Amino acid sequence: MRKLCLPLLVAVAACARHGPAGLAPLALPADAMAFPPADSANALHLLDRFAFGARPDDIAHVQAVGIRGWLEEQLNPSRLKDTAGADALRQYRLALRSPSDLYADYGPPPPAARADSMVRRREMEGNRALAGDVMMSALARHIASERQLLEVMTDFWTNHFNVFMAKGADRWLTADFVEHAIRPYALGRFEDLLVATAEHPAMLIYLDNAQSVAPGSRPPAAGRPGFAMMPRRGFGPMFPSVRPAGGAARAESGINENYARELMELHTLGVDGGYTQQDVIEVARILTGWGVTQPKRMGIGNFAFAFHAWAHDYGPKTVLGVDFPAGHGMDEGRRLLRLLAENPATARHLSHQLCARFVADTPPDGCVDAAVAAWQRTDGDIRAVLVAIAASPDFWAPENRTAKFKAPLTFVASAVRALDGEPDTTTRLVRALQQLGEPLFMHLTPDGYPDVAADWLNSGAILTRMNLAMALASGRLPGVVVNLDRLSPVTSDYDALVRDVNATVLGGQGSAHTLEVIRQQIADMPNAANARATAVGLALGSPDFQRE
Amino acid sequence: MSRPSDHPLSRRVFVKAGALSLVSLGFDPLFLGRAAYAQRVPGRGPGSKTLVCVFQRGAVDGLSMVVPYADEWYYRERSRIVVPRPGAGPDAGLDLDGRFALHPRLAALKPLYDAGHLAVVHAVGSPDSSRSHFDAQDFMESGTPGVKSTPDGWLNRCLLHDQEHRDTPFRGVAMGPALPKALQGSAPALAIADLQAFGIRAPEPARDRLTAAFEALWAGAETGVVASTAAESFEAIRQLKAANPAQYRPDNGAAYPPGPFGHALLQVAQLIKADLGAEILFVDVGGWDTHVNQGSGQGQLAGRLDDFGGSLAAFTQDLGEKMADVVLLTMSEFGRTVKENGNAGTDHGHATCMFVLGGPVRGGRVAGRWPGLAPEQRYEQRDLEVTTDFRDLFGEVVARHLGIGQLDVIFPGYDLQAGRFPGVLA
Repeated sequence: MRKLCLPLLVAVAACARHGPAGLAPLALPADAMAFPPADSANALHLLDRFAFGARPDDIAHVQAVGIRGWLEEQLNPSRLKDTAGADALRQYRLALRSPSDLYADYGPPPPAARADSMVRRREMEGNRALAGDVMMSALARHIASERQLLEVMTDFWTNHFNVFMAKGADRWLTADFVEHAIRPYALGRFEDLLVATAEHPAMLIYLDNAQSVAPGSRPPAAGRPGFAMMPRRGFGPMFPSVRPAGGAARAESGINENYARELMELHTLGVDGGYTQQDVIEVARILTGWGVTQPKRMGIGNFAFAFHAWAHDYGPKTVLGVDFPAGHGMDEGRRLLRLLAENPATARHLSHQLCARFVADTPPDGCVDAAVAAWQRTDGDIRAVLVAIAASPDFWAPENRTAKFKAPLTFVASAVRALDGEPDTTTRLVRALQQLGEPLFMHLTPDGYPDVAADWLNSGAILTRMNLAMALASGRLPGVVVNLDRLSPVTSDYDALVRDVNATVLGGQGSAHTLEVIRQQIADMPNAANARATAVGLALGSPDFQRE
Repeated sequence: MSRPSDHPLSRRVFVKAGALSLVSLGFDPLFLGRAAYAQRVPGRGPGSKTLVCVFQRGAVDGLSMVVPYADEWYYRERSRIVVPRPGAGPDAGLDLDGRFALHPRLAALKPLYDAGHLAVVHAVGSPDSSRSHFDAQDFMESGTPGVKSTPDGWLNRCLLHDQEHRDTPFRGVAMGPALPKALQGSAPALAIADLQAFGIRAPEPARDRLTAAFEALWAGAETGVVASTAAESFEAIRQLKAANPAQYRPDNGAAYPPGPFGHALLQVAQLIKADLGAEILFVDVGGWDTHVNQGSGQGQLAGRLDDFGGSLAAFTQDLGEKMADVVLLTMSEFGRTVKENGNAGTDHGHATCMFVLGGPVRGGRVAGRWPGLAPEQRYEQRDLEVTTDFRDLFGEVVARHLGIGQLDVIFPGYDLQAGRFPGVLA
């Protein structure tokens, strides 16, 4: 691994900020990296971690192109034809519309109109339809896209840079955030990703930076704070609209530390990354004025990032011992983001998180060190870090095989993929994630959903998975169409059936115990179609399938 | 089973002391797998104690829940988000003791305070200085502020106590889709999002067979935590089936507010009344991170408190005389800044306030030493000082309500002394 071609990865880093199409071609030199042979166990391990599980033909494909070849395909997503992903996306049209369009059609009705119950009901139905499309467009692509590693990393970063769709204007901004701030950089350079999220209105609103202003500053057009700030109204069910006592329009009057703290604690350095409360205050001062413009009620204008010079604190600051001299504007914010992106604590924090996702809940030092080395060598090139993890002996070590318990999203996506399933035209499949406690874009707090099994492994969740497995296998799970014929024909030869189910659903890795219990359960079932559905459901609900 | 009540501290033993001693050596007892039930004893008979913990995630503003209206600095540092002094109109605070006032939207709790069933502990919190929600929640749930490597939660360690006599799968239950850190560890604990939907769903003749199939699938194939988690699930299904949760109606005319918190407390009441052996129950309630537009007697926080207080009051009414053996303890990872921020909200602070509610409570008082809000009296010149370590409060509940004597096992590394208890339990 250490011999990995350095100049190549540096070249990648230079031009990453242009989205997937702009990613430079990346080759993994065959002589520089040792990957294990692509037997079915290794192929399944790779697909479980670097994809959302295997579709019926995927293991054979990995065996055909090899581990290295498959990774190379996935690290160059624009080369992969992805009609399936594009088709999936087209179903959920609201997720494709611009935030301003959505605001025009789904924005809050004028307060006077709210007295009408029909207006309120239309607003609620609109919000529900919008949320369904946004969640389902993400889930459908995780399931259908050929660009599986891009999907896995889009999910990883969306969760890392968590926003909460039910907070105020984020209901119109979340799809745009994923599409324009996350996905284009999910395999690019970390600093570009960090900047893109820092400048996106969804993040500026979610963590309140849009309202953080230098003490004593006033907007230029007096009495029109809405020019710079999000309005109070519409801040979602958790934050009902309220006017302060006296009813006067409020002017913002000071800094808000929320984003500054999470930027260091969660997005970059990590909670033990060496910053102090004073650093939090100084970072908040540097980012004063990073705000949002919003469309007027009549649909003029746009949601966009805006630097409001009037709200910025131009005094001198010091962050992590580094001086930021007086007199600087937005440029010092960009300088700050670079400082944080380049900090060694960030490389370690993010490498640890990536290894927890890809290798083991408590990742071994070896793969974390390899990831950190790749990060530092390439100035935070995400593809280089992923290659380092995949080539790390820890990734392939026996003790890290099937060592992870699938996260709710991974369970749902991989179960549908295993049955060659497709979402139907509705958004009902997102309810499966709700039942498992992790609906997309609905995590209230900025830490995102946890990436370790202790948080999912509980009695209620295990039963929910069993119920989802049976419903999916028998075609009763709302919102999805499965294709069991791809796994096994309807046959009265139940030994052959169990063999097929093992080969497809369990990647040939089902335990003897699991296969024996399935065989016993279906042995006396007269109806072969029922037996097939039961066998598939038990396999999906078995402990074997919860592992990855 | 014999449960000596006169010398609980000396007679009881920790059956899992061996596993616990590994914690102090840095080993994770989870690797040992969970102990199988030594003995299944459904129900615990009369006089058994129940603790309900309510975690207000997001750091609730204790200065709004219980307003220090006699402290002039409260009104000097806040203008847009203050609760008016008692008597000053319909949104004014409700006087408790001449120094503190209950938030007007917690009015449903005032009769419980007046009757001596509700105690307030003010200026309580963690000695750790972290203003990170996640670290602070983790510390409050592990019971070890400042130590991140603690593998289990303090409530789970409570469950290990006297385990061989009182194991039922319902002994520790979190209402929700996930098990909180406080209940994670080597003692069995359940997470239940909805009592009525707990089980394998299939038409009746097929259900038992399918349930047995999944039980067999999980029983033999796995060892350790996964297998024991599955075993707990199936045992719970059997016992819950007998309790028939679909038939539940609250007693005494209790009306829970609509919403997830009221529903969760309703299910907690249901579990307690079903006598399945519930001893430690846990409920999350969110929405307290009021950085922006917090509101005063009306508004965002007021709306959350209305739901909060109304749910606690309905729970108390529903349980009626059963509250004699129940203590409900509220907690939050830290409080919020004394001074309001630039957005008529508050940022992350230090101490907050907590409620202790129930029959055994010495209520009708605001306990804890009040440190004052003047700048020089504050923690780091900014936040309400912690004068009661949360472990002193939790420890009192553990010792005096649950009757667990070995507090150094529940709160390792902390020298708990009865002299520092806030004195909220008889």
